[in-house]
Amino acid sequence: MAINNIVLLLSFSFLIVAFILAFVRLLLGQGIYNRIAAMDLIASIVIGFVLVYAVFIQMGLYIDVAVIISLVAFLGTVAVSIYLKNNTNKNDGDNH
Amino acid sequence: MKLIGNLIKGISFFRFIGFYIWKLIQANAFIAYDILTPKLYVNPGFVNLPLRVKSDFSVLLLSNLISMTPGTLSIDIVEERDELLVHYLYGNEEKIVEELEAIQEMVLKLVKYPV
Amino acid sequence: MEIIISILLLSGSFFIFLSALGIIRFKDLYSRMHSTTKASSFGLLLLLVGVSLFFNELNVYVKTILVVVFIYLTAPLAAHAIAKSYREKDKE
Repeated sequence: MAINNIVLLLSFSFLIVAFILAFVRLLLGQGIYNRIAAMDLIASIVIGFVLVYAVFIQMGLYIDVAVIISLVAFLGTVAVSIYLKNNTNKNDGDNH
Repeated sequence: MKLIGNLIKGISFFRFIGFYIWKLIQANAFIAYDILTPKLYVNPGFVNLPLRVKSDFSVLLLSNLISMTPGTLSIDIVEERDELLVHYLYGNEEKIVEELEAIQEMVLKLVKYPV
Repeated sequence: MEIIISILLLSGSFFIFLSALGIIRFKDLYSRMHSTTKASSFGLLLLLVGVSLFFNELNVYVKTILVVVFIYLTAPLAAHAIAKSYREKDKE
């Protein structure tokens, strides 16, 4: 069984355009929090990319990559946002 | 007696799963329509929901479900689990509070019968 | 079967594209968070179901269920962490 190449190509192009849009938000930003949200979205896009690629080369082993990226992306997002929260509080205390 | 409790719990669990999936599809249809059409219909604001559920698990379930329902996102738990701060995109405050109360009723019914 | 898998793959990547479009179009952080939380996790759900139907093996099904449950538990939590830290900063 093989999926039509045009379908895979369309899926890849949707994901690439999504990646470019998220990257534009990462560059424009308006503050670090928008950038963290964009990084979170980019992790989801990469997971989608790996999944479509697994269908493309027909290897089931690539699902493991999706598992690991989803774990690491969640930990990274939560760690950075908690770090920022604690950091602003400490700076505030130092200034006063 | 225990059997009847488990039965009721099982039925309400499956109802809960069906409700979750229905809300999920609805939420994504709303978001997709709003993003795809050129005009944005958003009317954002905050609303405080008084919490009636107490345990850790039910608060997790409620905030997760609120985040996945159309147009609402749970932001924060304020004042030692008295209120949940919810951000909404569409509609006005009264309607949103009414919907959220219905969801809370569902969660209460689900956690009422312990195993 | 192939048609179902094709539709699932296409609509999944389309929903991820929609969430990226939403993060560009909405005006403030909370509204952007709506788009990244809901649409991208729904797109990943569709993609994962399509991939597991394509391979049709037991270990792929198990991993798919694992990833779906994990994503649906953690996507609202990540949004909650970002929004809470933004709000604490905003209050000052």
